[in-house]
Amino acid sequence: MVLVEVKNLKKIYSTRFGGNKVQALDDVSFSVEAGEYIAIMGESGSGKTTLLNILASLDKPTSGEVLLEGKNIVNIKESEISAFRRNHLGYVFQDFNLLDTFSLKDNIFLPLVLSGKDYKEMDSRLQPIVNKLGIKDILEKYPYEVSGGEKQRAAITRAIITNPKLVLADEPTGSLDSKSAGEILKLFSAINKSGQTIVMVTHSTIAASHASRVLFIKDGKLFNQIYRGAMSNDEMYQKILSTLTLLTTRGGENE
Amino acid sequence: MNNSLYFRIAKTNLKKNSKTYLPYILACISAIIMFYTMDCIVLNEGLDKIRGAGSLKMILKFAVKVIGLFSIVFLFYTNSFLIKRRKKEIGLYNVLGMEKKHIAKVLFIETVIVAVTSLVLGILGGIIVGKLMFLILINLMKLDITISSSFSLSLPAIIQTVELFIVIFVATLIVNLLQVKLISPIELLKGGQKGEKEPKTSWILAIFGVIELAVGYGLAINIDSPLKAITTFFIAVILVIAGTYSTFTAGSIAFLKILKKNKKFFYKTKNFVSVSGMIYRMKQNAIGLANICILSTAVLLTISTTVALYAGQESSLKITYPLDVTISIGNIAAKEKDRVANMIKEEATKSGVTLKSQVEFDDKQLITLQNKNSFKIANKENISVMSDIKSIHLYTLEAYNKMEGKVVTLKDNEVLIFSVGKEFNYDSIVINDKKFKVKDKLNNIKIANKNKNNLTDEYRIIVKDMSTLKNTYEGKNANELVNATDSIAFDIDGNKEDTIQFCDSLKSHINAMKNSSFQSIYTDREDFYIFNGGFIFIGCFLGLLFTMGTVLIIYYKQISEGYDDSERFKIMQKVGMSKKEVKNTINKQILIVFFLPLAVAVIHIAVAFNVVSKLLSLFGLFSTSTLILAIAGTVVIFAVLYAVVYRLTAKTYYKIVQKEN
Repeated sequence: MVLVEVKNLKKIYSTRFGGNKVQALDDVSFSVEAGEYIAIMGESGSGKTTLLNILASLDKPTSGEVLLEGKNIVNIKESEISAFRRNHLGYVFQDFNLLDTFSLKDNIFLPLVLSGKDYKEMDSRLQPIVNKLGIKDILEKYPYEVSGGEKQRAAITRAIITNPKLVLADEPTGSLDSKSAGEILKLFSAINKSGQTIVMVTHSTIAASHASRVLFIKDGKLFNQIYRGAMSNDEMYQKILSTLTLLTTRGGENE
Repeated sequence: MNNSLYFRIAKTNLKKNSKTYLPYILACISAIIMFYTMDCIVLNEGLDKIRGAGSLKMILKFAVKVIGLFSIVFLFYTNSFLIKRRKKEIGLYNVLGMEKKHIAKVLFIETVIVAVTSLVLGILGGIIVGKLMFLILINLMKLDITISSSFSLSLPAIIQTVELFIVIFVATLIVNLLQVKLISPIELLKGGQKGEKEPKTSWILAIFGVIELAVGYGLAINIDSPLKAITTFFIAVILVIAGTYSTFTAGSIAFLKILKKNKKFFYKTKNFVSVSGMIYRMKQNAIGLANICILSTAVLLTISTTVALYAGQESSLKITYPLDVTISIGNIAAKEKDRVANMIKEEATKSGVTLKSQVEFDDKQLITLQNKNSFKIANKENISVMSDIKSIHLYTLEAYNKMEGKVVTLKDNEVLIFSVGKEFNYDSIVINDKKFKVKDKLNNIKIANKNKNNLTDEYRIIVKDMSTLKNTYEGKNANELVNATDSIAFDIDGNKEDTIQFCDSLKSHINAMKNSSFQSIYTDREDFYIFNGGFIFIGCFLGLLFTMGTVLIIYYKQISEGYDDSERFKIMQKVGMSKKEVKNTINKQILIVFFLPLAVAVIHIAVAFNVVSKLLSLFGLFSTSTLILAIAGTVVIFAVLYAVVYRLTAKTYYKIVQKEN
């Protein structure tokens, strides 16, 4: 089943007086099947974060549409967009974005509280996933009291506790040491195995090698994609590396 | 680098920080205007000519000192806030290669710009506003002198103002330079961003706070005599201030934590963010909020009491003076008495006024201590507290009947009694071991009015005849606290000038006599106007100054929180909080921060009402309704002003939060 369909996305940033125009996305189209785990790779400035922000409805495209289960999210009214994001999307950030005035538990509850759920329901949703995410013992702690890896676990819990259709992750391992990063990636794979659709933007080849499909973006255009098929993580890693090399050398030729 | 570059950097810096610097400059200008105006009035020589100028000048001089002191404290506080906000910017200059001495130069030029702007505009404003203020003061005191012509430009006042504020500006500059010097660029760059712990609840302090408040409130409510009020009120004030600080610091956090523990309440969209935000806010701001609370209480009390004194003075005069003029002469011979009566008549004809409702009476005043229905003459040994003293006036029945035009009869052991203050609730009365039956309790007599707020309990007692009267008060050896007087009291009919002239000349005659006193509503009224006019002027003036301070402190607090909170709101919006919810949360938070101190201040005032009205009776204000009106009016005006600043602050805060996104 197709969960997300991205059609001819264009995004042009212009300076205030319309002087310089920068094309961040140029006619990007792809679709995401339910249960897929997609990594989007590209260099800095290639437009991958713009793409993710449009998927997350944090940003609007200049033209094109994004269909989530057939519904165009580009046209959602400003007043409904927060509720839509809250109910259908989970977002994991590079810098965690946890509120330091809340304990981890309350941080996780934040989207549910905003949706007006009562405490019993929130708690019953939390219990089954805390063990899986390994944060049972630190729930009452505050963000400044725990490590980066633990913060990101809490952030992931916050993203999935609403049972979103789609989890979007922006460089989720970008601020972590390699050990914590490995654990977080395992976690993403596990979540994906239990049926959660994930779209992740990353620089890291290792991170991307966990995905079931990798999209490459260059200069705002979809450049290539790799399906995992039956490949192991290591094989996937090699395949991504060679594609990246191709991406860079081709880029060199263009200049 | 050349100087014009420094100047340019300084100028852009000020412009860029206009959100914080504009209010600062406005505050400087207002402080200068106020200081200059008050100083001008004090230095004005025309004021020396009026009666009672000495005491008026004394309070005005005091006001100048208060304004000066307040300006110092306030501008220092604001400056420290400003420089804290700019640490990052200064650190950036340092990292980019500006040496600290260059930064110092930029800061110096900035200070010069701020100082020159505020001094020029402030003194110009002072010259304009000052004249108006002076006219208002003259008007309040009902003086019809034309000394305002000499009041427009006072060079000594300008010099004093410039001196004071230059010293303040130089001192703030030195503080800023020290800050820059002591801190490394890395620290400067980081500014104030550190993860902070959730504050701990100090239950002991919270409970102490509540107890302090309760005891303070209890004391204030239970005060029943004006003389007791002075000492007890002082203790109550200290307790309430201490209680306010403890309750704001510890009590608020304890309260919020209880709210947080209540899961049903806490995990509601509208409470979740505000409650947890408030816990942190309280940690940083409890002292500030307590300051604001106490400052507002002071402002409201100062303004409302001075207004009440001024507005209530006419009714107070009417209570104190049932008849316009009272002349009393002690130990007077009968011949002398006629001479005085004739003199009064002569003076009246000379001045062209007519006298009416004239009464004459013997009046023996006893200063006594009361034990149930028994009164004993007080002497130096047995008076311990002034507030225990009860005053008794003895009259003969003959004088009473003549005065009231009645034909009441009394037996030897019977008296009539009129209570000025507290009612006399016994059927018999014992004065100096002589027992009398109270035949009747009078509701009115011509020479005294009922006054619930009278300083001491006072009873006017009418006995059968002069020998009973003498027996009563000479029962014990007469001492210095006993005096016997003959009095004449009357109203005056005539125009204002004739009346004043009559009073003045009669007063000089009477005062030349031994053991005499001359009291008239006219001379008192003049004194009242000068006294209370000066009071209301200074009360409102200082009230305005403190209001400005309160409002600015709260504005700055909110703005700096806006910067701190913007990151938090950014995250919440990413997680799915809508702009509308952000706006509502902000409004709610600021509403609490703004109106909590005001609400507490109003409670303080409501509780203090009893004491304040007692204390004001010492200053001659007896009308409770005037005080209620004055307080209500002041609170409403203050609240409206406060609400305007609230709207403005909430708007700026929201802009900051959204802009940083």
